[in-house]
Amino acid sequence: MSYSDKVLDHYSNPRNVGSMDKSSADVGTGLVGAPECGDVMKLQIKVNRDTNVIEDAKFKTFGCGSAIASSSLATEWVKGKTVDEALSIKNMDIVKELSLPPVKIHCSVLAEDAIRAAIGDWKKKQQTAQPVTAEAK
Amino acid sequence: MANSFQTATSTPAQDVTQSCWSCGAMRTAYFCKACGKVQPATPVDYFTFFGLPRKLNVDLAALEKDFYLLSRKLHPDVVAQGSRMEQEWSLQQSSLLNDAYRTLKDPVRRTEYLLRIEGVELEEQSKAASDKARNTGEAKKQIVPPDLLEEVFELNMQLEELRMQKKMGEDDPALLEEIGKEKLKLEEKHEAHLRDLKAYWGNWDTLIEREQHGDAVSPEERRQARDKMVDLLNRRNYVRNLVRDVNEALEQ
Repeated sequence: MSYSDKVLDHYSNPRNVGSMDKSSADVGTGLVGAPECGDVMKLQIKVNRDTNVIEDAKFKTFGCGSAIASSSLATEWVKGKTVDEALSIKNMDIVKELSLPPVKIHCSVLAEDAIRAAIGDWKKKQQTAQPVTAEAK
Repeated sequence: MANSFQTATSTPAQDVTQSCWSCGAMRTAYFCKACGKVQPATPVDYFTFFGLPRKLNVDLAALEKDFYLLSRKLHPDVVAQGSRMEQEWSLQQSSLLNDAYRTLKDPVRRTEYLLRIEGVELEEQSKAASDKARNTGEAKKQIVPPDLLEEVFELNMQLEELRMQKKMGEDDPALLEEIGKEKLKLEEKHEAHLRDLKAYWGNWDTLIEREQHGDAVSPEERRQARDKMVDLLNRRNYVRNLVRDVNEALEQ
């Protein structure tokens, strides 16, 4: 199977690999997996509480080149967007950008799931943890 | 009454009857009952082929006996003197027989096959969950439970470290021991999943038996019994792939 140039670029030169403090109140973590292929993807976002803008994003993916490229691209795309804007990223956008073949579409689904999971985690923290962090400050 | 379901699911082989091409009498799926001549293969599922209901607890000894009996009867040599059509049909049915037996004798393949003919594709489930999450704005229900995902992620981190060390020609007995322990845990989980799967068979079989006795089974009951098995198979496959990755990393 041959990967597109864009996939190869992200694969050999992934953006934003790494991790952030999971317990931090302004960090949202999404950990998702695809049982069909055994891939596991962790995507984290750091959100500015006043503007709801995603200021930083990191990922770590264990999986095929397409999964790595999809999550790498996802971190690039969410950065600078507000949380709500980031939610509008669809897996088919990733498919188009990376020219993923049909058998690799599930990698892009995984990346979209990871974005949603990370934002969901962050939102949950804002609802529950806000009074605590407000007191701590 | 879910009458359409009943006929679709609990079809014993004798229901799939047509008249024999040779003598015109009614026949079973593979041979004419009256004159015993081999018949063209009908598009039936593997359960029907063996005259079994779509139940997951299968009498393996009886299945094997049936398989050998049919193998002999369907052997192309039997019709070596027959017409070319008969030889062709015999060959078709032999190959169907082999596929059916290989699928039904294995507990996991049998379950996966049943789910497939019941309309479930394992990957589709995941896609459906993503679509639902997108439409409702809720977080997607993860097929793989979060604690298993954490475990998978951690283990992958360790494997990555192991590969790096091997590349550098280093050796870390502590890391190897940790990975070995984790692998054992996963293998136990893999076994446990098979036991759990077999436990779910009973739920499913009860529904089929109820249908056989003329009781209505709601699509919802059916779906629930099915989805439990789908979830479990997904998790089991995940663990299996992971064990494979560990083995590869250790062997490299």
